[in-house]
Amino acid sequence: MKVSLLPNCFLIAALLLVGPGCDAPVESFPDNDVYALTLAHSRDVPTEAASRDVSSVIEELFGTPNQPRWPSELMDPDLRISEQNLTRAAGPQLSEKDGTHLGLFREHCVTCHALSGSGAGPASVFQNPYPRDFRPGVYKWKSTQRDAKPTRDDLTKLLQHGVAGSGMPSFSLIDPDDLDALVDYIVYLSVRGETERELMAAAIDELGYGEDSIDDDARLVTQGELVTQGETDGAAVIREVVEEVSNQWASAESEVVPVPAWEELSGETLAASVNRGKELFHGPIANCVGCHGKGGQGQAVTLDYDDWTKEYSTRLGLTPTDRDAMRPFKKAGALTPRLAKPRKLTLGVYRGGGDTDSLYRRITQGIAGSPMPAVAVVEQEDGTGLTSDQIFDLIRYVQSLGPQSTVPQSEFNYQSSTP
Amino acid sequence: MTAVNSSDEIAPSRMLHRLTVLIVCLVWPLIWVGGLVTTYDAGMSVPDWPGTYGYNLFLYPYKTWLFGPFDLFIEHGHRLLGAVVGFVAIGIVIAAFWKENRRWVRWLCVALLLMVIAQGALGGVRVVLSDRTLAMVHGCFGPAFFAICVILAVVTGRRWRQDSDAERLRSSTSILTPTKKLAALAISLVVLSYVQLLLGAMMRHVQPTTSAGHFAGIVSTHILTAFFLWAMTGLVWLRLRRCGDLTLSRPGGILIFLVAVQIALGIGTWVVNYGWPSFMTWVPGSQSFLVQAKGFVDSMIVTGHVATGSLILAVSAMLCVRLFHRRWQAKQDRLVAT
Ligand code: HEC
Ligand code: HEC
Repeated sequence: MKVSLLPNCFLIAALLLVGPGCDAPVESFPDNDVYALTLAHSRDVPTEAASRDVSSVIEELFGTPNQPRWPSELMDPDLRISEQNLTRAAGPQLSEKDGTHLGLFREHCVTCHALSGSGAGPASVFQNPYPRDFRPGVYKWKSTQRDAKPTRDDLTKLLQHGVAGSGMPSFSLIDPDDLDALVDYIVYLSVRGETERELMAAAIDELGYGEDSIDDDARLVTQGELVTQGETDGAAVIREVVEEVSNQWASAESEVVPVPAWEELSGETLAASVNRGKELFHGPIANCVGCHGKGGQGQAVTLDYDDWTKEYSTRLGLTPTDRDAMRPFKKAGALTPRLAKPRKLTLGVYRGGGDTDSLYRRITQGIAGSPMPAVAVVEQEDGTGLTSDQIFDLIRYVQSLGPQSTVPQSEFNYQSSTP
Repeated sequence: MTAVNSSDEIAPSRMLHRLTVLIVCLVWPLIWVGGLVTTYDAGMSVPDWPGTYGYNLFLYPYKTWLFGPFDLFIEHGHRLLGAVVGFVAIGIVIAAFWKENRRWVRWLCVALLLMVIAQGALGGVRVVLSDRTLAMVHGCFGPAFFAICVILAVVTGRRWRQDSDAERLRSSTSILTPTKKLAALAISLVVLSYVQLLLGAMMRHVQPTTSAGHFAGIVSTHILTAFFLWAMTGLVWLRLRRCGDLTLSRPGGILIFLVAVQIALGIGTWVVNYGWPSFMTWVPGSQSFLVQAKGFVDSMIVTGHVATGSLILAVSAMLCVRLFHRRWQAKQDRLVAT
């Protein structure tokens, strides 16, 4: 293709004028300083040495924001992550002639979730809830057991639906291929972040990184290929940690909570079920009213935080509202702990899905990372939990609260039966 | 209008004025399209420059452009429109040297052309280096250029020339002489609206490594300055509303309106990007609001915020030059009188 001389000279002149560009370089993922500080507090040991070694191991295993790496040699073979997808999701924003976007994470997610997935991205401060920190590997909106990972399907649906009432957008207008690449990238950031955390903890608790001198054998170094053979104690720990973390992700599918068969009710039977559900909602076993308030109006006073911020506050015996106590953590990049508000159920906003199956999972598992507890499912009524039929009653009541409810509210008398 | 100048006296720069009006009418849409490029993250959809995928800018197959990916449509469209503005700027310089007798206006036209060239180059380098910071500089330079276009249109206009005539002494005796304070206020309007633009651009072109605290600082400053600016437009209007000169009082009123719209658009921009902020959850509906990434209306709100920002800058600049013109005239009159 012939390109005329003049514009080229012009371009060169302009390039000289502005130098090599001015963007802040994105060379490596920032370390998890907040977790290092948390460990230093809880174990009462210095964590610098552990941070340093873990940081280089993690970079060797997982690469950089521009050149991600997937250490498949260490991973559970069932966990399939496409390196091609990772490359497409990582790196700076770019698009190709056919419209393919590259650098998807930085295009769509980074202002909230931050480069390392810490959730403390530039725009995070004014959000409530805060954007998710992917690194602890805890997720709220999923079909699996409370402490299990979400499935790929869960994550894809999450990206499509978004999280109403929070900053998390719906990406339904984005190409499904792009979403697929982003799901891989979420798993990548999560596995990377969890490995980093687990290695930090193992370094202090198992390998003696808190002491003055560290045994050579216990050093966290990958020694290139040798890590797969688990030569030294340090290398063995690396292998175990990566295996364990990837194993949890690989087994998500098998952790999906089965939902018992339920019936679609209408008319009288529906009204009766909703009324039973209402009793349960306000009753002592489920005690939903304790957090969600009477009739799910969200008027109850609760003073609880979510697990992500509790980790560096209440769990260390620090008061989240104590500015002085929080300052070092904030300096390390933590967000100010903010109360986790129970949902006002009359809004009819269900972040994890308002259909019966999703609500069954929500109620029987609770919401991971949030104060919302699980209700135990029992075979027979025994005062410790609810039978699955009772849970469906409860669900029908919850569904009747929302504005789009097809069950007319006037059928239920709110005042009389509340305890 | 009582004073009617003979037509051959005005004729010389009429062409220049028309061209400057044309460029104003082209540059505002250009800013919209440029804003859309950023909103849709389409800035890098054509990785080369000055060509488009190896083609000369003007020879790129129009079918691929019109019916290809949306990204390419707006990015290539932005380049084409930019080029058209460049040609008009060349026309302006020619017209100025041919017909315009005020030296400073001629040189302002030359500056305008240089600015288009620089702006095109900035855009190109931003693409070639794939640099967000340069995208930000490019985005901030555009409105400045727009303001210069508007100023040129004002100073080449008929009103301006008439006002310069001695005749005005007879025709309108009651025109206001702006005080120093008012002039200072007008300048601060221009400066502040540009500062707002810069702050906005910093948020829009935020780096992935920017810290949350730093960003929150920019946001807070942007919000505070917005309300401060609004108060200032109110103050300016109070001074101008009865001045008897519509070319002053009207822009003054328009500014109040524009800044109000801009504040609403600014809130909208935040909300469609990041959801309702934690300090505004009292707004009805905020608790069920769902952000839609790359939604059409959402993108228009965001881009509208960008475009209105440059409109505010341009109108304040217009008001400012007119006020200074009045002061200058008053000085001349005093000189004549003594
Ligand atoms: C405007 C800010 C914002 C953007 C942009 C954003 N998120 Fe989120 N994201 C959030 C918030 C806020 C939450 C927390 C929602 C909650 O706690 O219910 C969240 C939560 C999540 C979760 C966890 C959900 C769960 O089940 O716990 C995932 C995964 C996620 N986001 C992925 C992404 C991806 C991928 C992108 C880019 C395609 C993205 N987000 C873009 C704000 C954002
Ligand atoms: C300890 C307090 C607490 C109790 C008890 C509690 N919840 Fe919640 N609930 C929460 C919190 C907090 C949230 C918001 C979680 C979030 O959005 O991060 C929530 C959210 C919900 C949601 C919204 C889920 C979604 O998909 O958006 C439903 C439905 C719900 N709770 C139902 C119940 C029911 C039914 C009970 C009784 C069995 C109950 N909750 C008991 C604290 C509680």
